[in-house]
Amino acid sequence: MRDILTLYRHELRMAFRERSIVVGSILMPLVLYPTILWLTFTGITFVQGQTEGQVARIVVHNAAAVHPALSNALRVSDKFQVVTEPDARRAADLVRAGAADLFILFAPAAGTASALPGNFTATLTFDASKERSAAARDRVAAAIDKFREDWLEREARARGVPTAGWNAFTLADRDVSTGRQVGARILSLMLPLFFVIMVAIGCFYPAIDTTAGERERGTWETMLTLSVPRTRVVLAKYLSVATLGCLAGLINLAAMLVTIRPILAPLAARAGETLEFVVSPWSVPVVLVGAVLLAGFAAAGMMIFAVFARTFKEGQAMITPFYMLLFIPVFFMQDPEVTLTTKRALLPVMNVALMIREAIVGRLPWLQIALTVLSSVALIALCIRAAAFILRFEDVIIGSYSGSFGQFVSRRILGRTPKRGAAEGA
Amino acid sequence: MTASITARALQKVFIDEGRGEVRAVDGVDFECRPGEIFGLLGANGAGKTTTLRMLSTILQPTAGTATVMGHDIVTQPELVRRHLGFYSASTALYPRLTARETIEFFARVNGYPADRIAARVGALVERFGIGAYAKARVDKLSSGMKQKVSIARTVAHDPPVLIFDEPTVGLDVINALDMQQVIAEFRAEGKAIVFSTHIMSEAERLCDRIAIINGGRILACDTLAALREATGHRYLEDIFVHFVRPEQAMPATGGRA
Repeated sequence: MRDILTLYRHELRMAFRERSIVVGSILMPLVLYPTILWLTFTGITFVQGQTEGQVARIVVHNAAAVHPALSNALRVSDKFQVVTEPDARRAADLVRAGAADLFILFAPAAGTASALPGNFTATLTFDASKERSAAARDRVAAAIDKFREDWLEREARARGVPTAGWNAFTLADRDVSTGRQVGARILSLMLPLFFVIMVAIGCFYPAIDTTAGERERGTWETMLTLSVPRTRVVLAKYLSVATLGCLAGLINLAAMLVTIRPILAPLAARAGETLEFVVSPWSVPVVLVGAVLLAGFAAAGMMIFAVFARTFKEGQAMITPFYMLLFIPVFFMQDPEVTLTTKRALLPVMNVALMIREAIVGRLPWLQIALTVLSSVALIALCIRAAAFILRFEDVIIGSYSGSFGQFVSRRILGRTPKRGAAEGA
Repeated sequence: MTASITARALQKVFIDEGRGEVRAVDGVDFECRPGEIFGLLGANGAGKTTTLRMLSTILQPTAGTATVMGHDIVTQPELVRRHLGFYSASTALYPRLTARETIEFFARVNGYPADRIAARVGALVERFGIGAYAKARVDKLSSGMKQKVSIARTVAHDPPVLIFDEPTVGLDVINALDMQQVIAEFRAEGKAIVFSTHIMSEAERLCDRIAIINGGRILACDTLAALREATGHRYLEDIFVHFVRPEQAMPATGGRA
């Protein structure tokens, strides 16, 4: 037992003296992951808040058929904006076109249900492929449910009978979306998320392998003796990492498109829906451009961190925070109503993911796409410039610098003096 | 004869946060001519590797100049590397390439004429007896085989200048002797060779001129015969101690071999 304890202590001591273990097992769980979690949930809450704050544009027909209290509630509530369209067919067209979120057609209850005084039916026409329309449907349905509950309880108490079995205020849904539109919506939710993840994974290991991996294998110095300028060597490495990231994203996208139909179609059929997973031909060049931009940024960012690593393990520890940060913008996209606006076109990663999402559902906001391309190219150029600056330092290029990216910035750029005992490569 | 390598007052200072300013090389001067093996003989940390790394443009000198085939190591590093083959224990091979791919890659990337690469690779495979495992990945090769591939990749672009930084470190006796033989063959082909070692017998056997380096400075530089003459010692080991640790030096016995 004493032997085990001695060995156990020895193992722990060794582990705690290994920087990558301390960073990966202690510091990151302690600081990074909670921070990422906090940022993610803050973002999701913010986006949800925006959705909840949206006013549902509703067309109401035959409001006289319902209780005045309910009719008034819908009219005066600041959550609803009543759109006037007297023709029922045109009202449904407004919902299809996205000019209105919901068309409510009230009608007096028929048959035995009419025995209940004031009873009615409501047909809710909405577009399930549009989040805003689906949210408006849910909001109105919830308002009617609440009204029904209160009304039934009041009536039952007045009559001294239970509420069970009362068929009051029935709702009927009428979804105007096509299977293709719903399919596109599902694709637009899933594909950009997996795309970003796969591009990041596609860049992760090559970025380490081409820098820290070379140092660990002893081929870094061999590479330095090649008779080509070092900038070209680094550029070739960067391009190879970006290519692999790009390839990973595109292969995954293609695989998802092929497999999503057999996976989801049976589930949809069980739910009585027919889904079509077809993407617009226009989305192909947009997705290709997106793959290049995203991989270009991920590769450049990862290589800036990886260039400081001397072993594969160090490389993993140094890149992981950046790798995790890449995913944060994507979590904000869980709300399908988040679209590519001019401001969002300037947000790294999110802009490209949104651009791909827009293309998948067949929307092509050219101005925002152009802004996305320009801002991404500028960011990539900035990263490459930063990498070129870092590699001007001889100890970094030959691999004798023993600090991290953060230490490099602190000491070499900000000029801070290290604490006594903290070594830096000669 | 024009020197292939010249080094003048070459200096390298590292800034170490623990030790402060470290003068790894402190005013090194020497020349190496075609068909000559110039030996840098020194203990570990004497400044041999730093000097050779500066000549091969891996490191930049803090002061001083050096040229390789007339090209300045600071202002024309690519041209220097094009005329240079650098071999050291720390320049490993790419494990995922085959032996043939390795030689071909180094010939191509170092500017060997594209239309002659296939013939050059074939000749090197033949010369170093790599044929049987030319299609095997480097990580599957034994250390002796790797050594041959490594020499072949060093000379793949047929450079006129070769630098060998402690090439026999970690090799068994047979492989070390093979290495020495290959280096001697390169000399016979007219290449200028700088060879660093701390093994006296190697320097004695191979080098036309020997520079004894210690603390970043060259303490003596001449032919073995002249060094014997100057110190009165026969064995290079004694000559080395004579310059590096004069207080421990054996009494001179007369330097004639």
